Amino acid sequence: MNFSEHTKIRKEKFGTVVFDTLTEKIFITDQIGADVLGLIEQGKDLPEILSTLTASYDGDSQAIEKDVVEFIEQLKSNDIVTV
Amino acid sequence: MDTLAEDKNLVRLTNPGPDDELRQAVRGANCDDYQSPLFIAWQINSACNLGCLHCCQEAGRSLPDELTRKEALDLCTQIADLNVPYMAISGGEPLLCPYLFEVSKLLKSSDVSLKIETNGEFIDEQTAKRFADLKLRSIQISVDGVTAEAHETLRKAGNWEKAIAACKYLTKYGVILEVVFVPAKFNIHQVGDAVDQAYTLGAYGFYTGKTMRIGRAAKNWDILCPSEQEYEKFLEILKAKEAEYQGRMKIYYYPYDIIEELKYRLEYPSTSLMVLPNGKVKMAGPLPFICGDLRKESLKQVWQNYKKAWKNPEVIEFTKKVIDDPKLVAEANNWRQI
Repeated sequence: MNFSEHTKIRKEKFGTVVFDTLTEKIFITDQIGADVLGLIEQGKDLPEILSTLTASYDGDSQAIEKDVVEFIEQLKSNDIVTV
Repeated sequence: MDTLAEDKNLVRLTNPGPDDELRQAVRGANCDDYQSPLFIAWQINSACNLGCLHCCQEAGRSLPDELTRKEALDLCTQIADLNVPYMAISGGEPLLCPYLFEVSKLLKSSDVSLKIETNGEFIDEQTAKRFADLKLRSIQISVDGVTAEAHETLRKAGNWEKAIAACKYLTKYGVILEVVFVPAKFNIHQVGDAVDQAYTLGAYGFYTGKTMRIGRAAKNWDILCPSEQEYEKFLEILKAKEAEYQGRMKIYYYPYDIIEELKYRLEYPSTSLMVLPNGKVKMAGPLPFICGDLRKESLKQVWQNYKKAWKNPEVIEFTKKVIDDPKLVAEANNWRQI
């Protein structure tokens, strides 16, 4: 999983900005979203991302998985990431 | 660029304009919260080989105090340091700038997504290859009709065939091409064909919108400005073309005029800066206010100036006056420091 060529990511005080500079779409996400993006940037695949986040965050692992998978699907459908 | 978005939901933010639905969706960040701009529009020079009737910048001759090569490269370093993700370089005609490629290479190597906006007349096959090697975000070419007459009536001293040839060279070498069409009384009827032409040329996107009454456009308004009926038909055609080319070519048209834009910007200033050829920074195209000078201040400081400037009573009062009396947009190029 990689970011698409025109995707730029920048952390701000209020969240993380994901900017597809080709389509000019902007996306703002929270800390968990930022963590997912950071793991994608490190080249982690989905199982590794889920494992890392489940260890980092309290909460039901199935709920975390559902949330993360949904988030990544959104990133894919908007061409922020490619597989 | 607008900065308003729902949590994790992707919302189109680029110049959504005075869209009430989008405003209702707004919560959270505005430009005040951003550490640096998300976008910079840099007019790298004022020299131009053309004398376009609508030119907002009234370009043609160089300004006496334009940034030097060294100053321009220093600006690129500051842009990279502030992690500005996206930029557009225009002019004048940017290919007349002797250090355009050097600047472009530096920005690209700093991971800035860069678009160059040009009339295309200096893009031969060799230049197209140079752009291809740089792998920039895109090159935007102005093509204002499907006939030389239409294009060259607007672009005085222009050559439609050269603009078309530039498009072909760029797509031949895999450069992402965008085509811009400026509507005027004498070419607006060609917009549908112009969209089709852009697709045939391999364009990624076709961009248009209402002509802005700034600079030379303001001076030539009587011969330029389409009627409201012509604009209505123009927008109908564009909507139809948008559906026709869905998934094949992006068609973007900004339906609002300059006054609607200003009303919106008073409430939601853009998270962007406009750098002039002499390093001064303008708050917005339709306004005359200069909020910084990159020869004297850092880009970081100018960004802080910009955010404060939108709260300045003089700016607010003048902007409201322009909204009430659009003819005041003619002041846009009478720069004054705020």
